[in-house]
Amino acid sequence: MDGLIVSEDLGTAIISFIANVDINDKKADQIASNLSESVIRKRIKLLELVVALKEHLLADEASQRRKALYCLSSVLTKLPEDQLLKNEVSVIFSFYLSKLEDTELSKEAYSGLSSLAKMKYISLDNTKDLVKHLSQNYKPSSFLAPVRFFALQCMSNIYVRNESKLISDLAFADGYVKCFLHVANGEKDPRNLLISFKLNRRISSTLKNISKFKEELFDVLFCYFPITFKPPKNDPYKISNSDLKLELRLAISATPEFAEDAFGNLIDKLTASSFNVKNDTLLTLKACIDNFGGESLLKNWLPLWNALKFEIIHNNEGGETTISNAESGSPDVNNYQAALDVIKSCALQLSVFDVGAFDNFFSHVFEELKPNFVYDKDLRQSCSILAAIGSANTVTFDKVIENTLPLFLKSSSKTAKLKLVMMNLSFFLDSYIVVFNDDNTLHAQARSTNKLAGFQDEILMILGKALTGTSKVETTVRTLSVIQFTKLVKMRDYLNRDEMALIIQYLTETILTDTNKNIYYACLEGLKTIGDLQEDLLYEMSLKKLLQLLPSDSKDKMFLREDEPIEKENILKVILDFTNSKHRLVKESIIGLSAKLKIVASHKGTSDYCFLLASSLYTLLANNATLIRDTDASAIKEATEAPLLDMMTNTTAVTMEDHILTLLSNVLFFIELKTPLDTHQQQLVRFTELFDKDLQIFEKPNRGVLPFVKILGALNKECDFKESTSFFEKTVRLLKKNSLSMSELERLGYLELLMVLVNKWLKESTVEEFSNWNDTSAVNLEVLTWIGKGLIMKNSPMGVKFQRGLIKELGREDVGVFAAKLFEVFVIDITPMNRYKGISWNCNTKLLYKQKFFSEMFPQLVDLYKNSADLSTKSNYLTGLSLILKQIPKTIIEPYMGNLLPLLLQALELPTADVKVSALSTLKDTAEKFHQLVTEHVQTLYTTLLKLITPGKHNNVQVRLLALELLLILSSVVPLNYSLPYKIDIIRALEPVLDDNRRIVRKQCVITRQAFFELGQVPFEQ
Amino acid sequence: MSEFINENPNVVEDNELPRRKEDEAYQSLLGNAANGEALRRRKLLLKINHSAQSQALKNVELLDRLLLTSVPPELIPDNNEDTSEDDSFDEPADPIDSQEIYDLIAHISDPEHPLSLGQLSVVNLQDIEVHDSGEKDKMAEVIVRITPTITHCSLATLIGLGIRVRLDRALPERFRITILLKTGSHQSENQVNKQLNDKERVAAACENEQLLGVVSKMLSTCK
Repeated sequence: MDGLIVSEDLGTAIISFIANVDINDKKADQIASNLSESVIRKRIKLLELVVALKEHLLADEASQRRKALYCLSSVLTKLPEDQLLKNEVSVIFSFYLSKLEDTELSKEAYSGLSSLAKMKYISLDNTKDLVKHLSQNYKPSSFLAPVRFFALQCMSNIYVRNESKLISDLAFADGYVKCFLHVANGEKDPRNLLISFKLNRRISSTLKNISKFKEELFDVLFCYFPITFKPPKNDPYKISNSDLKLELRLAISATPEFAEDAFGNLIDKLTASSFNVKNDTLLTLKACIDNFGGESLLKNWLPLWNALKFEIIHNNEGGETTISNAESGSPDVNNYQAALDVIKSCALQLSVFDVGAFDNFFSHVFEELKPNFVYDKDLRQSCSILAAIGSANTVTFDKVIENTLPLFLKSSSKTAKLKLVMMNLSFFLDSYIVVFNDDNTLHAQARSTNKLAGFQDEILMILGKALTGTSKVETTVRTLSVIQFTKLVKMRDYLNRDEMALIIQYLTETILTDTNKNIYYACLEGLKTIGDLQEDLLYEMSLKKLLQLLPSDSKDKMFLREDEPIEKENILKVILDFTNSKHRLVKESIIGLSAKLKIVASHKGTSDYCFLLASSLYTLLANNATLIRDTDASAIKEATEAPLLDMMTNTTAVTMEDHILTLLSNVLFFIELKTPLDTHQQQLVRFTELFDKDLQIFEKPNRGVLPFVKILGALNKECDFKESTSFFEKTVRLLKKNSLSMSELERLGYLELLMVLVNKWLKESTVEEFSNWNDTSAVNLEVLTWIGKGLIMKNSPMGVKFQRGLIKELGREDVGVFAAKLFEVFVIDITPMNRYKGISWNCNTKLLYKQKFFSEMFPQLVDLYKNSADLSTKSNYLTGLSLILKQIPKTIIEPYMGNLLPLLLQALELPTADVKVSALSTLKDTAEKFHQLVTEHVQTLYTTLLKLITPGKHNNVQVRLLALELLLILSSVVPLNYSLPYKIDIIRALEPVLDDNRRIVRKQCVITRQAFFELGQVPFEQ
Repeated sequence: MSEFINENPNVVEDNELPRRKEDEAYQSLLGNAANGEALRRRKLLLKINHSAQSQALKNVELLDRLLLTSVPPELIPDNNEDTSEDDSFDEPADPIDSQEIYDLIAHISDPEHPLSLGQLSVVNLQDIEVHDSGEKDKMAEVIVRITPTITHCSLATLIGLGIRVRLDRALPERFRITILLKTGSHQSENQVNKQLNDKERVAAACENEQLLGVVSKMLSTCK
């Protein structure tokens, strides 16, 4: 059904409408829509509707008449503007005018008239009649807000329909404006005010006759200033305080005609004590200045300046200048800044209007502030003001700079004085950034001739002096200097390359020699800023130098200057920090550090130093893995791969040490990961050749397996790897044959190799063939575990078989303990098997494999635990479970918590520190989330925990610390009536722990003990 | 105006209070069970990358873990607890020193300013004496000298009480705690000193729930 109504149904529709008004307004509105739609589709005529309504319109009951007219008005509102023809409009218009006499119908009548007023074919005479009626017969004060709303709506619609006429016909316009002033007078309703303000703005800014009415138009606005409005709850119109404020501000600043009244009145309002009123005033002043232009300022800037000066200098002395306006959700209100913005607008408008006028303004301001520089009084405020004027445009900038800077820019030997100079200078550097840091081509010219350029040498000299000439204790001065240097760098086209280089040099030297944290970070920030703009220069001037400064032997001491020794750790730290996320710098550091490593590794006794270099290389690659571009990757590979491989296969070098070798192998992993995918097959052949044929890592144990396994980990899993089966076989054999002679690291390497091969290349049938479930030797168990890991990570169905097989081993008395330890391996994260953003080829690790693994293992382990009678096998199950828990994200465990908690409590009694740590950290998360659950077990928990806080073989620092932390959590989550009985016991039991050997334990004990002292105490008022 | 007798004391910024040089990251490293060579290496790492969360550190820890896991069964420490005696003495001991006492009491908040005793220089590192042999069965002593912000500070006893409660709760029983006003810092120095070190009077004060509430509020800012 389309809902359209034909003539025959008209009567029914009207009755239905009238019945629904005030009862089901939604339904009534729907009927009105149907009616208007029918009129538009010409199924009925509007006149027919009027006739059909006639009976109701003439009814005795006022409410009946009202509802009938409401029906007609509702339909009118929904009609398009060009729907009614001239004569139709005219007839309906007269009809409505006549209805105005019926006071009960005012609202509906004005509503209808306002709809008519915007009709395209309404005659000018009708419009004038309406204006005349509103001017003479309408009394705003005698109607309620909804009626006034429609009267204002009439005015607004008349304006919209007749704007061009109003502009050209002055007499008509006069009548209209007078009428508007009459209608808008005394309005209080926020919704109506919004219309009134909007209309006022349009009238004032467009009509030609407003000079005559400027005072009245202004008064009808300013009587509301400063407007405040708190929307009631469930406000249907959703009008906010800031809507009104903004609309009023726009209206007040609509025309320069208001200037005379506006400035005077607003300046008066500045004396207000309310923070928000002042803010509103300042923002309105700024809007006025921006819109009125320079001419209107000529007469007004002096009083304005005086008021603002008072505001800035006296009302903001050290006090709170910002309050956060949480209530309305608007950003922080800052009157100090708002006042400065007004001054800036002032300067801008004056200078645009007439440079001479600006000069007058500026000299006045300047002369008033000048003495402050002599007496060091209100310097912050004075500089802010001058800098605000300077940040208006290039003209004002030059004017301010050439006058102001000579006042204070003097070098001094007193640090206090230097500090002041830099603080003052800071404001003007900001002005430069505001004025010149844009892409405006006009500014390029002005930049080259700007007045600040003349002071460049002096500024650099003073900053340099503050940084290098002061003692290290003067951290504020030095930090300030670094910050100003950074600002100079940010200033577009201000410095040339040489000067930038000088600054880089300053910052680099400072960051290396200064131990203060603030200065370190300020320098870092500065270097990073330069890096954003001039990466090449930063490389040339800073990174290169840093790399050179790294000694080639750990015994060498490096000096920046004669007496300033520099620690290599410091240099590495700086390199790591400031190269982060800059392509070129990352690339160059990796290449540089690798080269350095090669030299250092050739010396004896440099193991620690090599370790640091290797860690740095690793960190650079790991942190920037996704950022390094293909071209960089190729360059890195070319420069570093060969020497790194050389170092890692040369058996006598320091780099063969466990940690260093692992780190470097991981470095290789990242390098290979980033090589172009189409070369992977080729790489695979090459590396197989190297490790298999040349190094013969499958003949006897060789540390070369470590780099090999990481490289394999990085290469594409789609590569054709025909040796994979034979390598797998050889590895298994090698592991079994040499299980005793092999070093730990080698064994780990070979085991990892099994995992990678199984995960990426091997067929499951091959795996099955080589896994021997009858051999329970330690080494075979390890082999099975790592193969299992490779399978489990790719969610292979065969993985389940391995899980079951190993669980079975837990029940054996001879190998159970060892097997339990191996359970952690299943879920531990290992570099080549991790997933990296944007890289899909390196491994078959499924996202949710841990979840799947845990949900399968947990019920089995719990069952076995419950059904086992033997204590030592029980403990094996628990150990296995706890070790898995350690590596599993806590969210996965949560659903199992109810069953898990009792087991964890038992695990706390097991004689292995690792298991305890794991159980405790799981319990900590549990306690924070499941209050009810831990409350049920609170007695066991308290007694068990108190056993763990004293030092012992299996209560290492971490166990003690975690136990204390858990106690603290319990004190706050367990209900008081459960905890209180234990209070005294716990406080007593904690007393000896206050004398623990480790400070970190004592500290936690103090905190935990205090919490129990306060348990149940009368709370103090906050 | 009479509410705050001393309205504008010199205030030291919270981050400028004297503190131990090694910081959190280092401490948390010690918390993790690691010893000997591995620990030394990790300390080295902290020098170049100052975070316990750094990639390199994680990598090194992972390696140590894995190496430990793959130790064959015969090398696994066995389960009997007889040897626990020597084990507990393996740990290096951190002595209780004046910095530790300072950290305990410097963050107590002043009853009338929203500032801590450290910030107001009521307690100063150099005014704390610790006499401790480190042996758990010998008596030890702590002497704290406090400097009220003004010589007629009426709240000196309350501040002293707060410090005493804090130290009583935070130090082992073998420590004897003496709290004194710094010589010449208060008009009724002797009286206050007597009151603060009189066990009975302190105990009596702690019976008073309201007073204990005030003390708790002072202690609530301790870290």
